[in-house]
Amino acid sequence: MFKHQLVGLAVYTKSLLLPAHLTLYMQYTLGKLFCCLAVLLCSLSAVAQKKFTLSGTIRDAATGETLIGASVIMQSANGRVGTATNAYGFYSLTGAEGTYNVTISYISYQPIVKSVTLNKNTVLNIELKAGSELQEVVVRAGDRKNENVRSPQMGVEQIDMKLLDNIPVLFGEKDVLKTIQLLPGVKSGGEGNTGFFVRGGASDQNLILLDEATVYNSSHLLGFFSTFNADAIKNADLYKGGMPAQYGGRLSSVLDVKMDDGNNKNFAMQGGLGLIASRLKVEGPLIKDKSSFMISARRTYIDFLLKASPDTAIKGNTLNFYDLNAKFNYKFNDKNTVYLSGYFGQDNIGIKDLFANHWGNTTGTLRWNHVFNSRLFSNTSLIYNKYSYNIELLDDVNNFKVTSLIRDFNLKQDFQYFSNQHTLRFGVQGTHHRIAPSDISTSGTSSFNSLSIENRYGLETSAYLSDEYIVNQRLTLLYGLRASWFALLGPGTFSTYNTAGDITSSTTYGSGRIAKNYFNLEPRFSASYLFNDENSVKASYNRNTQNIHILSNTGSSSPTDQYVMSSNNIRPEIADQVALGYFKNIKDNTFEFSGEVYYKWMQNQIEYKNAARLIANANVESQLLFGTGRAYGLELFAKKRVGRLNGWLSYTLSRTERKFTELNNGNYFPARQDRTHDVALVGIYKLSKRWTLSANYIYSTGNAVTYPAGKYNLGGITTYYYTERNANRLPYTSRLDLSATLEGKDTGKRFHSSWSFGLYNALNRKNPYSVDFRNVPTDPTRTEAVQTSLFGIIPSVTWNFKF
Amino acid sequence: MKKLVYFFCLAITFSGLLTSCQKVIDIDVNTSPTQLVIEGNITNIRETQFIKISRSVPYTATNVYPAVSGATVQVSDNAGNTYRFTETAAGSGLYSFGPLRGVSGRTYTMRVTVDGQTYTATSVMPTPVRTDSLTLTKITFGSNSRTIVSVNFTDPRNVANQYRFIQYINGRQVNRIYVIDDRLTDGNRIKQDLYFDDDDFETDKLVSGDVARVEIQCIDKPVFTYFFTFRQQSRGGPGGGTTPGNPPSNIDNGALGYFSAHTYQSIEIKIP
Repeated sequence: MFKHQLVGLAVYTKSLLLPAHLTLYMQYTLGKLFCCLAVLLCSLSAVAQKKFTLSGTIRDAATGETLIGASVIMQSANGRVGTATNAYGFYSLTGAEGTYNVTISYISYQPIVKSVTLNKNTVLNIELKAGSELQEVVVRAGDRKNENVRSPQMGVEQIDMKLLDNIPVLFGEKDVLKTIQLLPGVKSGGEGNTGFFVRGGASDQNLILLDEATVYNSSHLLGFFSTFNADAIKNADLYKGGMPAQYGGRLSSVLDVKMDDGNNKNFAMQGGLGLIASRLKVEGPLIKDKSSFMISARRTYIDFLLKASPDTAIKGNTLNFYDLNAKFNYKFNDKNTVYLSGYFGQDNIGIKDLFANHWGNTTGTLRWNHVFNSRLFSNTSLIYNKYSYNIELLDDVNNFKVTSLIRDFNLKQDFQYFSNQHTLRFGVQGTHHRIAPSDISTSGTSSFNSLSIENRYGLETSAYLSDEYIVNQRLTLLYGLRASWFALLGPGTFSTYNTAGDITSSTTYGSGRIAKNYFNLEPRFSASYLFNDENSVKASYNRNTQNIHILSNTGSSSPTDQYVMSSNNIRPEIADQVALGYFKNIKDNTFEFSGEVYYKWMQNQIEYKNAARLIANANVESQLLFGTGRAYGLELFAKKRVGRLNGWLSYTLSRTERKFTELNNGNYFPARQDRTHDVALVGIYKLSKRWTLSANYIYSTGNAVTYPAGKYNLGGITTYYYTERNANRLPYTSRLDLSATLEGKDTGKRFHSSWSFGLYNALNRKNPYSVDFRNVPTDPTRTEAVQTSLFGIIPSVTWNFKF
Repeated sequence: MKKLVYFFCLAITFSGLLTSCQKVIDIDVNTSPTQLVIEGNITNIRETQFIKISRSVPYTATNVYPAVSGATVQVSDNAGNTYRFTETAAGSGLYSFGPLRGVSGRTYTMRVTVDGQTYTATSVMPTPVRTDSLTLTKITFGSNSRTIVSVNFTDPRNVANQYRFIQYINGRQVNRIYVIDDRLTDGNRIKQDLYFDDDDFETDKLVSGDVARVEIQCIDKPVFTYFFTFRQQSRGGPGGGTTPGNPPSNIDNGALGYFSAHTYQSIEIKIP
């Protein structure tokens, strides 16, 4: 039986890698992996012969949405086994013949207990009803109880999408990326910004996935909003460390965002009118219990206000973004389901007759879930994603239009095999990248020349195998290996450079020829050891590599980020991370506590030379410097999960540094995002049946910056002299945000509405955005430091509805 | 340039929406030992040429920069000429030689000796590119419109050219570095707008009767890199912008400043 599947895999491997010589290469590297796998699977099935398997899918009773991470526990006189549903709501448990009490539960849903006689392989599909919010018992009974203590997975944060409704945010636009910034180890990219840094990594070292498609630029309007419309999101998981082997390609984190599938029971609509944007989501069954769809859209309306201006010059300006999420699924039978999902978003900024800028992501994912048997689950994905931008200067003389894009085709095959003590995951993935760095087109009279920088092509392939192994009641291991192979492909001319940045040699490769390739093995290991049900220690080690790099002159994400691949000049970035953690639950899961320490080594990090020219530069790789980095820290997290008052306190103590021969005399210097202390306090209080109040407070040390140590006069201009790089600090940031949600009266009808009122930066503190230096305007013999702050107190109001 | 235009436009677009504000703050800075600063220029105009030597001061000090006297200063070219510069007035730190006219295509070498330490730099005088006019350009952002000066010239094809502009309004220098090269504009008719704002000058508006004068220099590549970096570090962008650093000087031995052999042209325009 497994032989059959291995043949299937080999066919996949071939179809992934179109050029024949690549197939040979992969067969060699992957061959060994799958041999081990086959042996392992055979031995597992031999052990499990006299047992039977209970499997199925867990769904929400009202909407038919699959529930990710729901707990299924099978209890008999002889003991208990448990598992959690996978990304498609599927679970599988194996036990000896007998009668079991099966408990199915999920946070804020009413648990179900069923008696099951297991004398053959059995399918048990369950629909859970959402519990009413004030029923504490519902939440408490959530038998993912102590899951945080038990699971060997470290450094993971599951974001409860319902929580987003009550977290105060800038302009009242709820946002998953801003919520994760309140968690330990995750630092904000700046005031009101959706960019983030995880455990000392750079912002381009986060793998951001939307239904498995890479989202290269996850921000709207220069980062004040994210591309994730909360209405359309079912679930988001953030891995800060101990990355499972099925993820790869970025050094510091994985943010895995999954869209709603669409209500397959009833038609439903929900939406909201906010200060900045309005939202509308429509979903419903196409064929009841078989097929459903979801479409969710969001658009800002600042520019409608601009249009309303009597001033014709203002009228002509553009400032908006919109996005569209859509998903469709069709269940052929219990064994086969197909999902098609897509995202399209765009930002438009423009000033009449002067300037226009558009950027956006497009993603599409086609997936086929197949249940081979009660223990083997398969998912096949075909994924497309693209990020592009263009900038136009509209002047008669100085005009141009620059366009740039990065596009991926991605084919993925994932398997999950469930045995009583082992959950195996294995699969292969192949991604074809195309980067069009810059195409400049101009009118005939423009002062700019038309220019097209050669496209770059790359193929990233990988194979992985991991096993979650419950050794005994106390010890659980999660270990695996990811093998990744990256090839930079022709056609193209590839140059090498000397330290001055001049070309020393150039080689031209034909289409499909390999200009440079890198093979990396990425071991992943985590273990948890339970002292008792409520106390555990965990340890992990993982290696990650990265072959797509962003070049940006600014600290946060910018629409004009340049992407480059590993090449003859750029080696893959590599990070090794070790982490150790202690996890404790108190008072029957009412309080969760965790403390983790980590240390991370980074190789082949990228910086820029002085006066680097990154845009429209065919020799952009000559502008780079390569060095190493290290990051370490302590993260403390305390959470109250239930009760009228819940929330959490997170604290991070950390340091992240870089070392480049050419910078700071070759000494370590703090990375820009290095902040010693980060504190976030989130509190949500259910005042009454209708009112919920919430507040969050953040404190963080200022970013590492370089202030002048001296000054001199150059041609009449006061000029600053710098010594150590990033040796100074911006002032600290401290902010309190408040919000209140008023639920509409429960009229017993389907229509439900709510009001959200927010106060961002309620204390109106002027937090630092940047600090510049200048001569005192009234006294040119002195200089002064000027701090720019972005937001004072900003109120917001949003009306949401659902029916 | 694009990036500058880009952020500038965004800043304008957002300014109506955000309640951004500025305030003067107290900060802790490091102090550095004083550094030698040399500013040397050789032009293609037959006139007295100057090399200025001073020292830096700690950031917290007042803007009074000690002049360096008693230095040995000489410039030589690759045609075998050597020019010994002398201090114009005792204690001024300003060294001069002249009249001297720099010749395009020649390599000039500056040697400065201070307290037994020698600092050298070389610079190649580029071929002059003639600017034919200054014009006025009106730019409008929303209801806010202003007039700026534009420099018009034709860039020679198939030659790498670098330009530096210094803008004076009513005789006072605008505190902004203007440097461009022809990396993306080679061989074209160029209209370079010299934008400035109230961080660079006491006002951001040119008004009727103002006289704007622009000094146009053709500079060599190392001098361009120097000023390009200098300009990059002088503005903070999102999250603090480019990490500032000392611009890469073409003078060796750790001196700050630059030595530039450049062409010179000056044009005036009166705002009607």
